[in-house]
This record gives sequence, C-alpha cells and structure tokens, in this order.
Amino acid sequence: MPRITVDDRVIEVPEGQTILQALDSTGLLMDGVDVPHYCWHPKLSIDGSCRLCQVEVEGMPKLQIACNTPVQDGMVIRTQTPRVQQAREGVMELLLVNHPLDCPICDQAGECKLQDYAFEYGAAASRTREPRRAASKRVDLGPTIVFDQERCILCRRCVRFCREVPGTGELGVVNRGDRSVIETFPGMRLENDYSMNVADICPVGALTTKDFRFKIRVWFLEDVPGICTGCSKGCNVHAGVANNKVYRYVPRRNDAVNGTWLCDEGRLSYKRIAAGRLRHASVRGERGARDVSLSEAVAEAAARLRGVLDAKGAGALAALASPHATNEDLFVLRKLLAALGVETRGVAVVQGRSDALLMQAEKAANAEGARRLGFGPASAVLDRVRQGAVEALLVLGHDALASGALRGAQELAPLQALVLLDSHQSELQHAAHVVLPVRVAAEKHGTLTNHAGIVQRVSPAVEPDFEAWSEAEVLWRLGAALGLAGFEGRFDALAVSRELESAQPAPAGASA
Amino acid sequence: MLEVPYVTSYLSEHFADAAYQTLEGYERRGGYAVLRKVLAEMSPEDVVELVKASGLQGRGGAGFSTGMKWSFMPKGNAKAKYLVCNADESEPGSFKDRILMERGPHQMLEGILIGAWATGAEKTFIYVRGEYKEPADRLDRAVAEAYAKGYLGARVMGRAFRHDVLVHRGAGAYICGEETGLLESLEGKKGQPRKKPPFPAQYGAFGMPTTVNNVETFCHVPHILGRGVEWFRSLGTEKSPGTTLFGVSGHVRRPGLFELPLGTRLDEIVFQHAGGPPDGRKVKAVIPGGMSMPVLPAHQLDVPMANEFLRERKSMLGTGGIMVMDDTTCMVRASCVISYFFRDESCGQCTQCREGTGWLHKIISRIERGAGVPADLEVLLDVCAKMEGQTICAFSDAAAWPIQGMLRHFREDFERHIAERKCPFPASFEL
Repeated sequence: MPRITVDDRVIEVPEGQTILQALDSTGLLMDGVDVPHYCWHPKLSIDGSCRLCQVEVEGMPKLQIACNTPVQDGMVIRTQTPRVQQAREGVMELLLVNHPLDCPICDQAGECKLQDYAFEYGAAASRTREPRRAASKRVDLGPTIVFDQERCILCRRCVRFCREVPGTGELGVVNRGDRSVIETFPGMRLENDYSMNVADICPVGALTTKDFRFKIRVWFLEDVPGICTGCSKGCNVHAGVANNKVYRYVPRRNDAVNGTWLCDEGRLSYKRIAAGRLRHASVRGERGARDVSLSEAVAEAAARLRGVLDAKGAGALAALASPHATNEDLFVLRKLLAALGVETRGVAVVQGRSDALLMQAEKAANAEGARRLGFGPASAVLDRVRQGAVEALLVLGHDALASGALRGAQELAPLQALVLLDSHQSELQHAAHVVLPVRVAAEKHGTLTNHAGIVQRVSPAVEPDFEAWSEAEVLWRLGAALGLAGFEGRFDALAVSRELESAQPAPAGASA
Repeated sequence: MLEVPYVTSYLSEHFADAAYQTLEGYERRGGYAVLRKVLAEMSPEDVVELVKASGLQGRGGAGFSTGMKWSFMPKGNAKAKYLVCNADESEPGSFKDRILMERGPHQMLEGILIGAWATGAEKTFIYVRGEYKEPADRLDRAVAEAYAKGYLGARVMGRAFRHDVLVHRGAGAYICGEETGLLESLEGKKGQPRKKPPFPAQYGAFGMPTTVNNVETFCHVPHILGRGVEWFRSLGTEKSPGTTLFGVSGHVRRPGLFELPLGTRLDEIVFQHAGGPPDGRKVKAVIPGGMSMPVLPAHQLDVPMANEFLRERKSMLGTGGIMVMDDTTCMVRASCVISYFFRDESCGQCTQCREGTGWLHKIISRIERGAGVPADLEVLLDVCAKMEGQTICAFSDAAAWPIQGMLRHFREDFERHIAERKCPFPASFEL
C-alpha cells in the first residue's frame, strides 16, 4: 500500500486511487483534511471540472486536482498552503459571479456547500459589477424534482448520477460556456426510481424535491439516524425531525448497505410514520367496538386467549408475526408462544418491485429477522385457520391481508379470539376482538435484520402523539396477564435485548 | 484561381501544380518514394528516433516534439492503436492546413502512413472541420486513390502492414481542435476536453491508444525521412527547425500564406512579404500566432518567429497565424472581439473558464461602451490570473493570455476609454 504525506500526516492508502478517493477511504476527507470539492462524489465517476479540490503536490509545478491525481508511494501533498488557498478563493469568486443572492428563500440554505465554502474560502465582498445571469427559476424536471437554473453551478453530479446509478440518463448539459444549462433530453422527464437523490447530491439549491421544498428551514431539523423500513434492504437514513415530526428522509452513507443512495419509494416512506396510524386500543363487544385503555385491552386479550387455551388447549392457538416488528418484538413473541406451548406460527410479507440496485421485493424491514427467529410462511397458520383447527389467533400487523395471503378479513370471522397488534389501520381491525396500537421502528429501540442478514439498530426519532407501546411491551404485559413464567416484573427493553443477544448473537456486519 | 502560398519551400513548392493533388501527379513529383523506402528499410523505432532527432515540433500550436509524442504510444499489439490527424484548424487567423489539404493531400497521407508505421497504428481518423468542405472532398478523393493503388488497406505497398484512413467531417466547435475535445467529438459526443490522466496515448479514440498530430506536422514527415535530419535542421533555428506556413491577415496589402523558415523575423514577414499596412497607415499591433497568442506592439516586431524568442516577449508561435492591426484599431474593441470569441467557445466544464471568459467579456464590453471604472483593469488582470493553468485544457489560458497581452502593451487604450467615458477610436472597425 502506498504511503503518502498529507499536510505532514503520513498515511497508508489503498493502491490505485486518486488523492481524494484515498482521503475518503481513510475517512480523512473533510474530517481532518479539508479538501473542498463540488463535482467529485465518492459514488460517481470523476469529472474534474469544478477545480475546487486543487492541492499542491511536491515535484509538480502546477496545482493538481485531488479528485483525479493518482496517489503514488512517497507523494507529498499540501492542502492548506497560500497558493491552494488562493486557488480556492479564485474558484469561489468565479462561481459566485453568476450565482443569485437568494439564500433567504433557498431551501438549500443551511446545508449548502456554496454557502459553506464561500464562508470558509471566499472573499467578503463581491467585485462584480455585471448583471448576473438570468435563467429559469422553476423548471419542472419531472414528478419529483424542481430545477432552479440560476443556482446551478454545473458540477454535473446529477447528470452523472442519472447515467451511472439508475442508468436512465435523462439529464445532460446543453449549450456551452456560461450559457451551459442542465436539461432533460428532448422528450424525456427526470423520472426514475431514484430521481430524488439528485437533490441530495446537488451541492447547491438548484435541485430540490417537490416533497420537501418550502416545508421547513433545515436548521430547525435534527438529523436523527434511522433505517428506512420501505423494504428489506434497510437503507440508512437521516430522519429530519422537528416538532416531533419527521419532515424527510435523506440517505445516510453506509457502504455495506446503501452506499449514499435511497430509492424514491423508501424516501417517501417517512410519511407512514404519521399517516394512517392506528391510534386507539379497542375491544369488540355485543354492541360493536369501543375504545379502551391499553391495560384494559391487554386484560381482555389475555382473557380471550385464556378461554380458548383452557377449552381447546394450545393447539387451537396460532400467531402471525409482523415483518415490520423488531427482532426484540419478535423475540418476545417467540418467548410468549413458547410459554403458551403454541407451535402454529408464521409471517406474511408483502411482495413488490425489486431491482439490482437497492429495492428489494420484500416490502418490510425485518422479514429476514422474522425468518431467523423461526417464523416460516404464513400458510402454515392460514391453512389451519381455514381447516377450522385454530380458534384463537394473535396477529401482529396486517401483512397477511396486504400480501393477499389472507383473502379478506372475513376469513377470520369464525375465530373465538382475534387479538391484533398493529401500527396502521386496516380492515383487520374491524374483525378483531381486541385491537392494540403499537409503535413503528422510528418510535422505538430495537434491531432490524436486512435481506443480507445485516443487523441494524433503530432508536426513537419521534414519540407517537397517542398512547402506544412496542409490540414487545404489549406481548410482555400479555404474558404477565396470562400469568406465564418468565414474564414477571415490569417490561425492560434493555433486558430483552440482552436476552436476545445471548440467545442469537448478532452476525458479523452488524452496524449501529 | 489557385490559392497558393506567395513564398514557397519544400512543403508548398508544387502547390501551383493542380495535378499535384492527384496520386499520379504527386508521384510524378517524387511522392510516395519515401514511404516505399521507409517500409523497406526502416524499423518503426528507427523512424521514431529519426523524427526525434530532427527536432520537429508539432505545428498545431503547442509546439511539442513530434518524435517524443510518437514514443509515448505503447509497444506491441495488445490493443488496436490509432492516429488522429487534427484538421480542425479552428484558431482564428489560421488557414495553412486548409491549403495543405487542398493542394497536397497525398503529401499529408504519406506523412500519416509513415507515422502509422512508426507508431503501429492500424487506422487514422482525419478530423476535418465541418466548414472545410473542399479540403474534405479532396481528401476523400485522395484516400480513394490511395486505396485503389494499394497504398492504403490490408497490405500497404504489398507489405504486411495494414492501414486504413477515415475522413471524418466535424460538427464541432473551436474546442474540437483541442486533442481530447476532438476525440470526444469524433466519438459522437459533445466536444469537451477530457481530464488527464489518462492521456490519449493510453486511452484515446474509442478507448484505444491514440496519437493526435496536426495536418502540417504530418506534411513535414516525408521530407525529413527523405532528406535527412541534417537537411531539416539546416532550416529554421537550432531549437525550432524547419519551415512553417505563416498566414498573414488583417491590415496588410498582401494577406496570404508564406512558407518561411522558423526564426524568420516578424517584421520581415509583415512588411517585406505581406507588404506592410495600407498607404498612410502605421502598424499598431501584431498577433503573432493565432488569436489565443498575446499581441505584440509595433516596436517589438523585430522578433524571430520561433517559440524560444517569442517566449521572451511573453507570446508564442501558436499556429503561425499572424494578424496585423493598424493605427486606426481600437485595442479595447479588439479585446471585445477576442473575449467574445472565447466566451462563446468555452465548453463550460471548468469553473474558471466558464465563468472567467464571461466575466472578462462583460467587463471589456462595458469599458468599450464608456462605462468602465479604473478598478476594472486590476479585476481583469486578476481574473486572467485565476484562469491560467488551473483547468482541464489550455483553452482557459488561451482566453486569458491575449487579454493580458492587450493590457501589457495597450493599457493606455483602456485608460482613455475609462477617462473619456467613450471609445476614442471612431475610425476603428465596427463591433
């Protein structure tokens, strides 16, 4: 491995990389070694056009662009000399010659690389007396993205992204010189499964998503690390949270999972944290369903299950797990079923579109975790229900219905006891005898196992604005209400996760 | 009427003979004998060494050693290798390659075939600017003749040496004369220079090792191989051997081409060969090598036209396109034209070039309109400095140098515009 010296720091870097790539792979880029850059992106081809990343390399008379200069053993690089500083100032001044001064109304303000670098490397005053370039402020590029031509600094990350990542290549640069402008090719719209990533990689406010623009100033947002639950890929995200509300997901880099990308479907899945939630516990009686407290619902569920258990034995009980629940939730479910002696169990997973990039067919975050915890196909449960062998069913989530495994809620009508724990509303809640609202992944601690077996931790980004427990807590209290051994005392999430870890050690590659 | 150089030497001595354009006419004048001899007697390495020793400098503007360039091509046949003949001739003030192609297409083809032998290239793409219909037509005819005669194709002159030539008509721009911009355009893409590395000798046309040489450069090659290094070095200067075709335009009585040894003095070319300015006018300034080279004032025309001497005066030979401006000329207006050209032609990739060319032109236009302020001149120089030496290709430098030259020698013209709040040269050419 070549050894190079960067600002008097000697580092070993991987073979065959450029200076910027080497700094990125050693984790030093902008985190110890500040080499500002616009056109370069770790997951895109090298462009070499913004010229901001110029550094001094000993033995080379001209400044070199760090993004495209291959490292060589013994190379001595300086990133903070007066010459480098001057070059950066030069690039910044020239970039600002035509950039509009509309930061006060620009969505990017606060997370804008032009603002940041102008602050760090730019001159305080503008020397230009010429009118700035006037261009279109609101170009509708497609269903998800709006483009402000004036703000564009022509780094062409978006152009390369569309060509290289989804492979759709909708964008190009038309005209030349200072009339250059990004456009979709004739007859095309920016429309692909990953289109909104262009707003993330746009270093300025030129590309904004229709979903997020003008919603909130970014400095009010707290970036809470989380996991997208749209499918079993488990893409890492930052949830932008303010006022106990998630305003957006943006991708959080994890080279073992999603790199720096996020699909549009997953990105918009943050909306499900607030929308369509099941907000009340309820119990169905002679005169229909009535809202009850969580404790009352647990007591009613325990009573119903106990009735079937006493009359017909554990063989008449069954459970459907949720592929959205955390490993901790499912571990408590497994423990409960074991204590009851219930063996009929399974999990249904909604299937959808998949691709070779990120999107997985299984539209749930923890389908693999459920399988690894012993929950097989839902048919094992539903076949027995249809045979009339099951009289009490404990259901987590409504994936059996949504996936089509269950043809309709009426299929469950003959049951003596249908206990439903769900985060979202569905037809199932009207068939259930007892309904309990539960938390989603963004509201609780736990782990999710992605399609490749990588275990990833989630922690609360928001609190539900209604009373709800995690599935694990509901099931724990149910176990306690049933008087089962091992469910003594208060629910302790930490103790559950310790118990899970010792029962099923996390495989290698687990990440926070 | 035949358009031929007023002064000729070895490159252009037969250009008045219309038959010289044909293969038969070319052979009658001794053409293709050198190629035959090279294929029979010389190894590719010998040819490269000889061209290196001759000191031939590329005639496309940068003046890099042709032999050196050829030696960068990888050895062996792991990949197909290509030559590209740069016939884009887009530098304003240059018109030598056009005549070389129209009047001596086989001279160029012979040079290409020798270059192909030397570098192991199996194919040459001749990239002719789209505006050059006549040169391209004549090249097409010459190439067809060479195939018919067996000088191109599977067995060149009956030897185990394959070479194909394809005449490509560019749909380009100024920047397609830059070698990697040319390669992009040749491949059917937008003409934008490529970042280096990789260099064309490793990754050139269609990803294959490629050498790009100018039209005139190839034309010198048969003569060097035929008459030897000593003869070639007897012409021109020690560091810049051989002749070149100087193209003189602008305020002179006899604009045209003059084939003269490198090192011929600029004043000799302008006054003696091109006849000097029209009656009653005086020369004010001369651009010595195409529009991207810095201007020289009248009192500096005693310079020998070779890079080693022009560099001392902060200019360069470029393509040898000499543009003469007389004393009616407003140098701010000239700067307006130059900066407009570079603003229009910048490909727009690199920040400094895209934004710098526009900014320069806006400031200079404002000064010409009489709305300049004294601080503008320092800003102009500073923007030029920021544009220099920091971009993917030399276009940005080429856009900055002429403006630096104008301010170095004709700052007074700019200051008068600012002080008088109008253009003080009413008789100058119109914008």
